[in-house]
Amino acid sequence: MIRNRKHTLAAALVATMTFAGVGMAVSSTDTIKDRQDAMETVGGAMQKLGAIAKGEAPFDAAVVKENAATMEEHLRKASTLFPEGSDTGDVETWAKAEIWTDHADFVMKLKTAEAAAEAMKSVTEESAFRPALGKLGNSCKECHQTYRRPKQR
Amino acid sequence: MTRTARGRSAVAAFALFVVVGVAAFWLLTRPRPLAATALPDHTPDPMGGEVLYHVGSCGSCHKAADGAPGAEEGLPAGSAALPTPVGTFYPGNLTPDPETGIGRWSEIDFVNAMTRGLSPDGAHYFPAFPYTSFAAMPIEDVLDLHAYLMSLPPVRSPTRRPDVPMLGLARRGVGLWNRMALGDRRFEPDPARSASWNRGAYLTNGPGHCGECHTPRNWMMIPDRSRYLAGGPHPAEEGDVPSLRGLLARGRYKDVGDLTLALQYGETFGYDKLSSGGMAAIQMNLAKLPESDVRAISEYLLSLN
Ligand code: HEC
Ligand code: HEC
Ligand code: HEC
Repeated sequence: MIRNRKHTLAAALVATMTFAGVGMAVSSTDTIKDRQDAMETVGGAMQKLGAIAKGEAPFDAAVVKENAATMEEHLRKASTLFPEGSDTGDVETWAKAEIWTDHADFVMKLKTAEAAAEAMKSVTEESAFRPALGKLGNSCKECHQTYRRPKQR
Repeated sequence: MTRTARGRSAVAAFALFVVVGVAAFWLLTRPRPLAATALPDHTPDPMGGEVLYHVGSCGSCHKAADGAPGAEEGLPAGSAALPTPVGTFYPGNLTPDPETGIGRWSEIDFVNAMTRGLSPDGAHYFPAFPYTSFAAMPIEDVLDLHAYLMSLPPVRSPTRRPDVPMLGLARRGVGLWNRMALGDRRFEPDPARSASWNRGAYLTNGPGHCGECHTPRNWMMIPDRSRYLAGGPHPAEEGDVPSLRGLLARGRYKDVGDLTLALQYGETFGYDKLSSGGMAAIQMNLAKLPESDVRAISEYLLSLN
């Protein structure tokens, strides 16, 4: 009898743990997907700015402002999408473990990128565009070289 | 035969086995340096050497640790840690300081380091130093590189021994690996191709050592030549290194001009996939090359399918 009760208890415990585990996996899976989407959007906007730098598109202050605003918004969103425990999930992530061991530095690098995107919003002269783009692009590079694993795509 | 006699002959056989084994190991791991007579008659060109220095990313692995001598000037004074799966290295001081740098090295010492992976006293370097690629360089180019390094301001900065388990034995063992992995690597131009293509092929495979990361390795960590630059697991860290073959067919780049801009500007022009896993340092070094050399590399890479 006592034995049986123990069994039920254990079973219940295991069941709760499993469900909790599934719950966690689902939420970190969504988090990972959300941050990859956010980064993808940031990357898409960056490509638009890159096209101007490459001379594939004309310099247009309105286009610059729009894309810079998109980047700022999604970089800010990304800052909420790297919670502790989101280093694994049901989808593959290229986020490195160092994000959570050197968290203050990671957050600072994200803030730097956000600030560079914000600064880009107020660029109205073509002469100011290239230097601002250099700062913005370097902010991506600075983080990706330390905190992102490369993927074969 | 009595029991002890049998035991004794077993011991003797084992001892013989060990002696033969050690002797074979010793012979097979013997350093094989070039003699000074191998040096050609050549007036070194330090400007050409500077290009090789940048394409080889020498300054990235041999950089000074933050705050250490040479760090502010960006000189290759060594002392920064280079973690690898084998252990942590502190790649040496490449400035001409006589005590702590390569100031007292002869030209042939430098050639043996770069193309044979051998130190002036005949010890094997670990292939964390990409001499397996640098071995493709003609001696003239190695001498140009040497002349460039000798033109740098000397920095006094002693460097540390690597933290590698069983360092002495491991170093000797590299000799065995070299027998399989090193071979004759000298670059042979393809006369059917343009001068620019050949320049690109040389820079990519020789001083640029792009294959050290982009070519997959077998279980002995020897690059698989049949899958040259085809990408695979990163040799030193987590993640996968992308393939450099079929870049055009896969739509990664539009044309030579596009890839040239990607290598020159990387993420600052909105190109992704040029920052992680050590590529950022390579890209920033490529940005220092004359544009014709970056174009040459692009022309060569886009010809690989
Ligand atoms: C503070 C760090 C940080 C900054 C700054 C940053 N990123 Fe990222 N980025 C990451 C990480 C980490 C990942 C991998 C996320 C994952 O796989 O879970 C990533 C992934 C990406 C991806 C791939 C998304 C995918 O689908 O897998 C793109 C594209 C990207 N970033 C673009 C940018 C651009 C452009 C900038 C600069 C404007 C930028 N990022 C700035 C950390 C950063
Ligand atoms: C990927 C990192 C890396 C790159 C790139 C690299 N080296 Fe090194 N180098 C090393 C390591 C690691 C060692 C030490 C190996 C050992 O101790 O076995 C080393 C050792 C050396 C040595 C011997 C130094 C001594 O004090 O004994 C010389 C000379 C040298 N490298 C020159 C160069 C030159 C020139 C270049 C550029 C063309 C270059 N290296 C690029 C990692 C690198
Ligand atoms: C230290 C290892 C390493 C070396 C050496 C190296 N690469 Fe890379 N390379 C990478 C990694 C890792 C990536 C993927 C980076 C990312 O996803 O952010 C990459 C990406 C690239 C890409 C982008 C591929 C694509 O699909 O768009 C090109 C082009 C490239 N490398 C060229 C070179 C050339 C040229 C050299 C030699 C001059 C070189 N690489 C040397 C590691 C290396």
